[in-house]
Amino acid sequence: MDRTRFRIRLGLDRFSGLYLWAVFIIMFTIWTPLFFTTSTLHSIASGQAVAGILTIGLLIPLVAGVFDLSVGATANVSAIAAIQLQSVHHVSIPLAIVLAVGLGAVIGAVNGFLVVVFKINSFIATLAMGSVLAAVLTIFTNNEQPSPPASPTWTKLTEFQVGGFQIIFVYFLVIAIIAWWALEHTPAGRYLHVIGSNNEAARLSGVRVGKWVWISLISSGTIAGIAGVAFASLLGPSLTFGPSLLLPAFAAAFLGSTQLQPGRFNVWGSVIAIYVLATGIQGFQFVTGVQWLSDMFNGVALIAAVAFAGWRQRATANRRGPRRPSATADGDTADPPPDASAAAESPSRAALSPSE
Amino acid sequence: MSEPSPALSAANVGKSFGGTAALDDFSMSIAAGEVRALVGGNGSGKSTFIKVLSGYHKPEPGAQIVIGGSPLSTGDPASSRRVGARFVHQELGLVDEETVLDNLAVANGYPTFGGTVRGKAARRAAAATLARVGLDIDPRVKLGQLTAAEKTGVALARTLDGIGAGQIKLLVLDEPTATLPAAEVRQVLQMVHTVADQGIGVLYVTHRLDEIFQLGATVTILRNGRHVVDGSSEKMTRADLVNYLVGSEFEDARDEADHTERIGSQVTFEVSHLRAGPLDDVSFSVAGGEIVGISGVTGSGRESIAGTLFGRERPTDGEVRVGDRPIRGGRPDESIKHGVAFLPADRKRESGLMNLTVRENLTVSSLREFWRAPLLLRRRERAETRSWFERLGIQPAGGWELPMTALSGGNQQKVLVAKWLRLEPSVLLLDEPTQGVDVGAKAEIHHQILTAASSGAAVIVASTDIDELVAICHRILILRHGQIAAELTGTQMTIAAVTEQTLISDGSALHLMSEA
Repeated sequence: MDRTRFRIRLGLDRFSGLYLWAVFIIMFTIWTPLFFTTSTLHSIASGQAVAGILTIGLLIPLVAGVFDLSVGATANVSAIAAIQLQSVHHVSIPLAIVLAVGLGAVIGAVNGFLVVVFKINSFIATLAMGSVLAAVLTIFTNNEQPSPPASPTWTKLTEFQVGGFQIIFVYFLVIAIIAWWALEHTPAGRYLHVIGSNNEAARLSGVRVGKWVWISLISSGTIAGIAGVAFASLLGPSLTFGPSLLLPAFAAAFLGSTQLQPGRFNVWGSVIAIYVLATGIQGFQFVTGVQWLSDMFNGVALIAAVAFAGWRQRATANRRGPRRPSATADGDTADPPPDASAAAESPSRAALSPSE
Repeated sequence: MSEPSPALSAANVGKSFGGTAALDDFSMSIAAGEVRALVGGNGSGKSTFIKVLSGYHKPEPGAQIVIGGSPLSTGDPASSRRVGARFVHQELGLVDEETVLDNLAVANGYPTFGGTVRGKAARRAAAATLARVGLDIDPRVKLGQLTAAEKTGVALARTLDGIGAGQIKLLVLDEPTATLPAAEVRQVLQMVHTVADQGIGVLYVTHRLDEIFQLGATVTILRNGRHVVDGSSEKMTRADLVNYLVGSEFEDARDEADHTERIGSQVTFEVSHLRAGPLDDVSFSVAGGEIVGISGVTGSGRESIAGTLFGRERPTDGEVRVGDRPIRGGRPDESIKHGVAFLPADRKRESGLMNLTVRENLTVSSLREFWRAPLLLRRRERAETRSWFERLGIQPAGGWELPMTALSGGNQQKVLVAKWLRLEPSVLLLDEPTQGVDVGAKAEIHHQILTAASSGAAVIVASTDIDELVAICHRILILRHGQIAAELTGTQMTIAAVTEQTLISDGSALHLMSEA
């Protein structure tokens, strides 16, 4: 126990991301003069904003133990919707945005319906939804990239500079703050954590599991919609960007769950993860110039994060008391609790209670 | 058949856990071909003894165990198998979706030809194996189609099959009929005799008293880890058995229960004609301030009744009311709003939020009271948690921000009890409230249950721990086959009486006994 406390104080565990970030910055600053510049800072900050927003969206159902694999596709549909509404249907910018984001919310609601009412595993339901959305995209665009809206206001929406940063970075921070508040400082967020911890215990504690899972998927859909609109404004129409953002978003969310509050999906841990990864990718790109870095980085990061989280969980469990060997010839079912006093008692429970 | 060396001869077997002796200088022997019933109450040491035999527990030095003439090197599961001991557990370890043949072959292998399973040979071998326990069933049938007794038979046959099958000396059956309907018990007992007739000694652990008479076996009775008596079931009456089982420690400490003032409250918890799962037309009512215990063997409905009363699922039929408000079922949140609290038996799966903090576990059912828009007031949550730490003596002190897993089982359970007591429920439903909990925590939880009742809550405790029920309850209902078979109050409510009422299968079993 003492050792744990010591380790937490050093923070190698909880703050490993920040340490790694510092290592990256120092290393690349020494390595290449291109790296330590304000333009690198600005480009990393806003370059990751769309992925960041998407990560926040993903995080909300993930807290409740629900996967939303359709966020990438949803963002893409919203992006194309926002553009087509303007260039084909001549809808005003504000209305186009509202409709496009609303579309994201509707997609989230459908996901919720599949998961809560049809009780389809969220992983499967949203994976399938992603495929359906890809088809929908092709139906509405004929697989031709629509032309971007002519209005300069449209691009200004995200490219407007605030203190050297594109304003999309500010949007990202605002969304992160709202999500942090909602997840950590409201009953709704607490319920999501509770559901994610133990679904049945949550239900038996009076938490409306279905309702909150549904709400979490509507949130992720809505935020994915926002991410899509932001992308469309920043980089123009693309038929393929969404799905390619899914993995980095997952990598950041899982890596984030090893940071600050280990074992818990959390907003700021994910934000740190996004920027640590981005800094590493950017730096290595300066040095090597190869194209495959971000794929490699994100993939490795996701594997490492999940492996680390699992390892950490097992390590904490082991510290608490010797586990019995899992394969006993006896295969008995009455589990002696780890502490000695309770173990003394356990045979008594086994004797008359066949349920064990 | 008439092998001279006994199937089992165990002497001076002792085993302690953390200073408490679970088994104390226990000795017993079983002749080859003999069926021996081993009976004992809660904490008598039956399971510990079986685990010593299987090599899972290493007994204290000095124990001598000889199985079929070969000494068992204790604490070594491989040795237990080598000397010819086999075990059938309550969880049979069979797969319903597979055929009988596959269930047998999974453990013992298929006859093959160049890697291909020889179907006909496999079926013949399986049928021969089944015949050893006197079962005549087609091995191609899916296991799920068999009766519970036949499944037990398949599990039995499986242990007799395979490598070293000829050397099996001792078969240990651990409460094989616990979940079986009374009608099928007889078939299992027949199979047991079929096995014993092959010269194998059988140690038959049971909690059903009727079976001892049906088995017509010698009985060894264990109490508090000590050998009490060996006797022939033909010479014992049921009363003798019960007496040996519980000893003379009738007057348990129920001082507090007797001296707690009961405040009659207006709320009555009414259950009428409830049917759900194993429960079959259950009706009773509990007044505010009353503690009602529910006892029953597994399969009687005891393990699900508390959850059903809470309305975790919608019942098939019948009604549950708190005062004049019906509990619809299927909506735990509404049940809680109606003042019903339910503590499930399974802490890890249904009760605790193990990776969240203690504070979060304690406040989850009434978060709204800490919500002052725009913030959830953690400071107030913490203050509330602290006050419950003090009230229930939860350890480690000040550990409200620790994850639940960092607490011992007893303290986890205290937290979960506190979580419900906080709501001041008018109905408190507890399923195995002190299972896996250390002695200190147990006493504290009992104290809290009594306090809750004295402040007007209607309390229902479903438990396999009969001592616990007798100690804290005003009234005990006995469930058998999903129905309330008996009700004990006042002076009738002794450990012996409750034990006897709980363990009797039903009238038909008694009838069978006289036939046999």
